Amino acid sequence: MQRHEVVVVGAGLAGQRAALAAIQAGRDVAVVSKLHPLRSHSGAAQGGINAALGKEDSVDTHIYDTVKGSDYLGDQDAIEFFCREAGPTVVQMEHFGTIFSRNPDGTLARRAFGGAGFPRTIYAADRTGLALLQGLWERLGTEQFTLYEEWDLTNLVVRDGRVHGIVAFDRRSGAFEEIAARSVVIATGPFGRLYGRTTNAHSCTGDGIAVAYDVGAYLKDMEFVQFHPTALLESGILITEGARGEGGILKNAAGERFMSRYAPHVLELASRDVVSRAIVTEVAEGRGFTGPYGGYVHLELMHLGKEKVESRLQEIVDYSRNFAGIDPVTEPIPVYPGQHYMMGGVSTNIRGETNIRGLFAAGEAACVSIHGANRLGGNSLLETLVFGKEAGIAAAAYAETAPAPEMHAADLDAAVAPLRAWSSRPDGEDPSALRTEMQETMERYAGIYRNEADLLEGLQRIRALRQRFQRIRVVDQSKVYNVNLTDALEVGHMLQLAETIVVGAYARTESRGAHARTDYPKRDDARWMRHTLAQKGPQGPVLSYIPVTYTRWDPTERVY
Amino acid sequence: MPEETVAAAFDVYRFDPAKDRAPRYQRYTLDVAPHTPILTALLRIRAELDPTLTLRYSCRSAICGSCAMQVNAKSRLACETQVGPELERNGRIVVEPMRNQPVLRDLVVDQEPFWRHYDEIEPHLILDPKRPMPEGRENPMTTEEVERFKETPRCIACAACFSACPAVEADPGFPGPMALAKLYRFVVDPRDTAHQDRLLAIQPGGLWTCLRCHLCTEACPKDVRPSERIRDLKEMAIAVQGATEHGSRHAVGFKENIRERGLLSEAKLVRQTSGVAGMVGQLGQGVRIYRKKPEILKSPHAIEGIEEVRKIYDALDHQDEETAP
Repeated sequence: MQRHEVVVVGAGLAGQRAALAAIQAGRDVAVVSKLHPLRSHSGAAQGGINAALGKEDSVDTHIYDTVKGSDYLGDQDAIEFFCREAGPTVVQMEHFGTIFSRNPDGTLARRAFGGAGFPRTIYAADRTGLALLQGLWERLGTEQFTLYEEWDLTNLVVRDGRVHGIVAFDRRSGAFEEIAARSVVIATGPFGRLYGRTTNAHSCTGDGIAVAYDVGAYLKDMEFVQFHPTALLESGILITEGARGEGGILKNAAGERFMSRYAPHVLELASRDVVSRAIVTEVAEGRGFTGPYGGYVHLELMHLGKEKVESRLQEIVDYSRNFAGIDPVTEPIPVYPGQHYMMGGVSTNIRGETNIRGLFAAGEAACVSIHGANRLGGNSLLETLVFGKEAGIAAAAYAETAPAPEMHAADLDAAVAPLRAWSSRPDGEDPSALRTEMQETMERYAGIYRNEADLLEGLQRIRALRQRFQRIRVVDQSKVYNVNLTDALEVGHMLQLAETIVVGAYARTESRGAHARTDYPKRDDARWMRHTLAQKGPQGPVLSYIPVTYTRWDPTERVY
Repeated sequence: MPEETVAAAFDVYRFDPAKDRAPRYQRYTLDVAPHTPILTALLRIRAELDPTLTLRYSCRSAICGSCAMQVNAKSRLACETQVGPELERNGRIVVEPMRNQPVLRDLVVDQEPFWRHYDEIEPHLILDPKRPMPEGRENPMTTEEVERFKETPRCIACAACFSACPAVEADPGFPGPMALAKLYRFVVDPRDTAHQDRLLAIQPGGLWTCLRCHLCTEACPKDVRPSERIRDLKEMAIAVQGATEHGSRHAVGFKENIRERGLLSEAKLVRQTSGVAGMVGQLGQGVRIYRKKPEILKSPHAIEGIEEVRKIYDALDHQDEETAP
């Protein structure tokens, strides 16, 4: 058995920032991750990180834009804290060594992003996530801590309402191990692989969230799923909002700049949910292009000129050329919305605390909530750093006074037994077949537009898949780097989370932000100005609701 | 309307240390569209044919650096290498693990040597307590200073360069292209305060082991051009320390030879690089060369038009003075 004071699961930006804060508070910290930290999905974030640093801009405007973007479901006290921390956070990352793009006067360059009143998105070309990940990992590398690299999380051990540690296995040896901890921070990122067309990495399977849900943690606002308007048609690879921020425009098959009908004032730079629905509507009503990979629209950058496109959108040029065979300097890019961001996650407060003592969460795995029903571009990188730090501080403070954890031999046995059963079956369900069916189900029945009949059908299908998962089979018998076992573990995690999305979406009889019900097309503040909480029950998720926190802004209609 | 597909044969390296005595190749055949990425094809093999095929992968968009492997003997990212051109080039697709790192299983290698060299160059800003960061605001950095990083911030640590590098293969102590490109990134960073120490520390056994074969630059999926960054480091190292290393003396001797006569004097170059004692050590080789091709060791007279060569040198020296930081 291993022992540490604070265990952080996940080593993207949120996990690394939490670890750094806990180390600086003097705790013995371990970081457990299924990927080498520099391979985390944070590195795929392209566009930038918001901070109201410009003279014409203000923290209050950033707060207001975030509140409005959230469709008034974001907690305004949390949003105020979040936006105030933005400037110091970005400056600290610059001090850590992050290489940002600069203005000619040497200050940090900023670009326009959707839903923002001013250009306040600080960036590093179109690889801001990678730049931050490098800067933070370089800084964290100067500290003492233990890294469990390429370890898969299987269980959280919770007894008497309090965390005692985790169970995980080392992919390289296949050995299961208990890691005792006074506090645990879940920073395992999103679960976009529930959907077929997603900008998320293959590793985004929500492991930490599912494991926390399994031991009774509340999940918040799971029904709010953001679809990014511009994913590459076939592969779902992200084409940054920065492409539109730099002046890119959207056109349908008739050559019409259709956003003028949906968001006449800001056009392509409306909030993501608005642009995604516009594209889906264009295609559904026959004004899109058609091809072997379904309907789509065009994102045009040609008018920006070769120099601007190649210098500001370097990665986009490569993606288009290598993954779609398109040169964006001379041709339009075929795009369609793809799952991109999960507003929901483990329910926490500003300090990253959950309803379980000693359990904390941060980043996309958590829901504070600052994004409410729809996240603004440039706010997620900021969230990982601001709330990663807060969760690290809180986890360290808790660990300082918490009694020593008690792990029992039975904890390890209980975690390992089901996985052994998966490997010893002579026949059973194939993890990748279940994953494909789940992805198709979520795409078809709980996608951008939803309605009661679809959600009911989707729920039945997900529950049938969960039944079949009881007979999951791992064919690979090797102990060394058994990714077949990882596949099975991940699909089990995702199916649990899929059920919470569908149940939450079915119950919420209104349209708000990214949750669009065709049978309830209006926002219903009287009934639904509240957060959904999902807790695991014997028959599936049990829902309850808590109020949204207001400080200064009353809800008004959201027009872009 | 479905796309046209081709039947593609994949010969994939398989090795499980728990049960295999030696690696073997397994053939899988798939119908795929020509633009299908190799990674997508491998994942289809896992889903449809053989779930025991083992590889690392995550983002599938050339940003996480997980899926570097040998595709038809070249170090590539599987996610951005398409099936069609590889089939045209080779008739089949041979997929093998990266080189210069021990194989853990199938296409998964142990990256410990790669990360150890990365750690050894101290990949973080080294700060001087006497030069604190500006309080509450960013360090100013001019556009020119940002441009000095060249393409190094694009590095995704995929290790394709490390896999392709013959110097790493010959000398496991050589840091390899990625670590040196990373070192360059800190040496040109205006926030870092240890530029000279970094250059002095990397010289013995580090910088001059590079053979300048440029295979790293060819392998790099992000156009970081590690061999050019190593060249930049060599120039900076000579500027800081003068030609004190075997490798740097060779480079400077080479340059002076050409300026003097327009031709190499091999004998003189050995003396400049290794000193008189070094010449004695290489006497045996010198005798063998003299027997076969005596003209190589004779000091050549200056070539015709040597004045033109010297003018080029003068112009370059002048240009260096103008652009010196």
